[in-house]
Amino acid sequence: MLSRVAENLFWISRYVERAENLARVLNDAFHLELDAVGLHGGDSDVKGPRDQVLNVLAGQDRFELTWDPRESEGMLTNLTFDSTRSHSLLSMISRARENARATQDTLSPESWSQLNQLYLALTRSKSRKQFEASPYRFYDRVKRSCILFHALVDSTMPRNEAFYFLEVGRFIERIDMISRVLNVWFSAAGEGEKTAEHSLRLVYWTGLLRSCSAYEAYLKRYHERLDAESIVQYLVLDLDFPRSMRFCVGRCLESLRGITGGAGQRTGTEAERRLGRLESELRYADIHEVFARGLPNFLSGVQDTCAKIVEEMQRAYFLT
Amino acid sequence: MRSASESTGSLLSRYSPYGFDEMFSATGTVRPSYAPLQQRLLHLTSAELERRHRIADLTMQRQGITFTVYGRNKGVERIMPFDPIPRIIPADEWDLIDRGLKQRVRALNLFVHDIYHQRQILKDGVVPTELVLGASGYRRELHGIDVARDIYIHISGIDLIRDEHGKYLVLEDNCRTPSGVSYVLKNRQVMKEVFPLLFQQYDVLPIDDYASNLRSMLRYVAPGGVQDPTIVVLSPGVYNSAYYEHSFLARQMGVELVEGRDLVFDGGQIAMRTTRGLQRIDVIYRRVDDDFLDPLAFRRDSQLGVAGLLGAYRSGQVTLVNGVGTGVCDDKGIYPFVPDIIRYYLGEDAILPNVETFRPLIPAHRQHILSNLDKLVVKAVDGSGGYGMLIGPASTAPQREEFAAKIKANPRGYIAQPTITLSSHPTFIGEHLEGRHIDLRPFVLYGEEIKILPGGLTRVALPRGSLVVNSSQGGGSKDTWVLGRGGST
Repeated sequence: MLSRVAENLFWISRYVERAENLARVLNDAFHLELDAVGLHGGDSDVKGPRDQVLNVLAGQDRFELTWDPRESEGMLTNLTFDSTRSHSLLSMISRARENARATQDTLSPESWSQLNQLYLALTRSKSRKQFEASPYRFYDRVKRSCILFHALVDSTMPRNEAFYFLEVGRFIERIDMISRVLNVWFSAAGEGEKTAEHSLRLVYWTGLLRSCSAYEAYLKRYHERLDAESIVQYLVLDLDFPRSMRFCVGRCLESLRGITGGAGQRTGTEAERRLGRLESELRYADIHEVFARGLPNFLSGVQDTCAKIVEEMQRAYFLT
Repeated sequence: MRSASESTGSLLSRYSPYGFDEMFSATGTVRPSYAPLQQRLLHLTSAELERRHRIADLTMQRQGITFTVYGRNKGVERIMPFDPIPRIIPADEWDLIDRGLKQRVRALNLFVHDIYHQRQILKDGVVPTELVLGASGYRRELHGIDVARDIYIHISGIDLIRDEHGKYLVLEDNCRTPSGVSYVLKNRQVMKEVFPLLFQQYDVLPIDDYASNLRSMLRYVAPGGVQDPTIVVLSPGVYNSAYYEHSFLARQMGVELVEGRDLVFDGGQIAMRTTRGLQRIDVIYRRVDDDFLDPLAFRRDSQLGVAGLLGAYRSGQVTLVNGVGTGVCDDKGIYPFVPDIIRYYLGEDAILPNVETFRPLIPAHRQHILSNLDKLVVKAVDGSGGYGMLIGPASTAPQREEFAAKIKANPRGYIAQPTITLSSHPTFIGEHLEGRHIDLRPFVLYGEEIKILPGGLTRVALPRGSLVVNSSQGGGSKDTWVLGRGGST
């Protein structure tokens, strides 16, 4: 497959996954803000969920906080529709769609059409009205459209290189996002641990799980026990949950092997080696160990690995 | 609320044919090939037609079947307006077109070969040498070079119109990189999805084998000795107006769609950069103009081509489709000589005649042109897409003065033709059907044999009375049905 096309595919699904995560995070910010304001009595010096969102996003690329953080609505609108910001939902979908337009012949017609429709829907003038009427429903629609794109890829594309490059992009982005979200929420919860009361902590934990679509799945596994170790255990080390880090690393590794064509006998590329190491680390990790080493250390290690993998892929496949 | 009797047939109730109408004869009776369609239309309300029309537009938009219009800041993506009333060509008319096009393309191909080899036709004085060697499409770099199977014009689109008597005339040859075939295929697909009823009672020749014919042709013209050639489509990229078509054709043929930056000249051959290293390419269906193919040979500022491509082509390592230098035969300055070219090489009279054409280089013609600018259509010989034209009857005095000056300064650069009132066809406008002018661009593939896609792109000028059908100038398109021998059933 053409190197340019491979790179395009990798970024298409990465942007779509990122847009989906952004829609989740913004939606949660919108909702949690309402809860949290109630709990800390509208005291604007206390960091609210809104700031968490900004922190999560701040890690990505060069994010500039150029608006008044107190204007929640303006912030949401900007992060959604401002096409001059590379982080806005609209920018991400536009880039994914532009890449897809240049790669139409490789995507299945169904998946291309889905992404094109999402783009057309967002750029229509009606979409702002829909957003203003109900941000919640708006973000939910975007989230579903993004998921539908991946689902159409999954059910209409043959398992060839094109498919695997899409998969790698999608799961690398998800791993990256999980580590950012955990990092931000745990550092905030750490502060909260000392001062805030139980109910506020509960709001945070619930919010974290919700933003990973993990709330109900988590409760089924751990019932009402909402504590840091169990949550990290679930979002990092669980084998079955599709938004746990270990699950994503596994899928990513499978796809990398799909690209190289090796079934694990050969070491394959450097990217495969690094990811393989992360996979076995997660497989044999003990949650107490992770906390003993310090969660932030662990998470930044994961982010480094992700960045290295992308570099290696550039070298091996995109810049031939 | 309309009563049933009022709404029945309201689509055609106000229809008044003018010029040569494809559906109705001069006396107002429906032509036999259109009779079943008329019956269908009688039972279709304008609201229903409008609803389905909108679905068709939406389908195209969602699939991204768009072209880019230049001129504004960055280029705007648009769908080509699609008219739901099909154009129908009876079997006997198509037979004439089919034979005429085969004859024409065969002769033009012989002409290109001759020009780049012996130049016998110039020595025999049939076509003026200075017109050929001075044509902007002539490429002296190709002189003496043999190409695979001696085929240059693998893919052509010959524009046909009908005059006021319904006679088919060739308006223009497009022998470089004609576009539009993807709309032909998509129009049919959308038509079948949205208006399945209209197909009943008709035996419409299928067109879905175009991509496989195209692929067989590309395989046939691979460099000698290559058994299983690697074929690619070369596009200028996503900002090109016909990008959709490039990607569509690559997809339909199951070959890679590449851009210049994906290709590299490697040890005398052309290869593409893949995730597994360089892979050799044998046949390039290029949708990049000659000028931009190779910065070493042609335009140095071109980012769209590959340095070394022309060298690989000249040495027979790679086949380019269409061949380089075919612009010499579809030049508007050469156009008036095509009937002579056909006679010269094939010893036959042209089956499809040209439109009468005046050349400013001939003093008597120039006199005629300058004193009849308000009645003629003047075209720049190297213009295309409806740019650089003067349509006399629709022109203003300053425009005519401008063209008169241009013609005097550069008589080689222009031709003039009488304004032909193109045939008109019922077209869905607002709530009714009204007559609008149309032309036809059939697509010709020249491989092991010459194959013509039954039908082609019918373009329709949407503003009332307009004769400009180009999509870049607001033209739309129609599905075009060629009837089998059974006709309508």
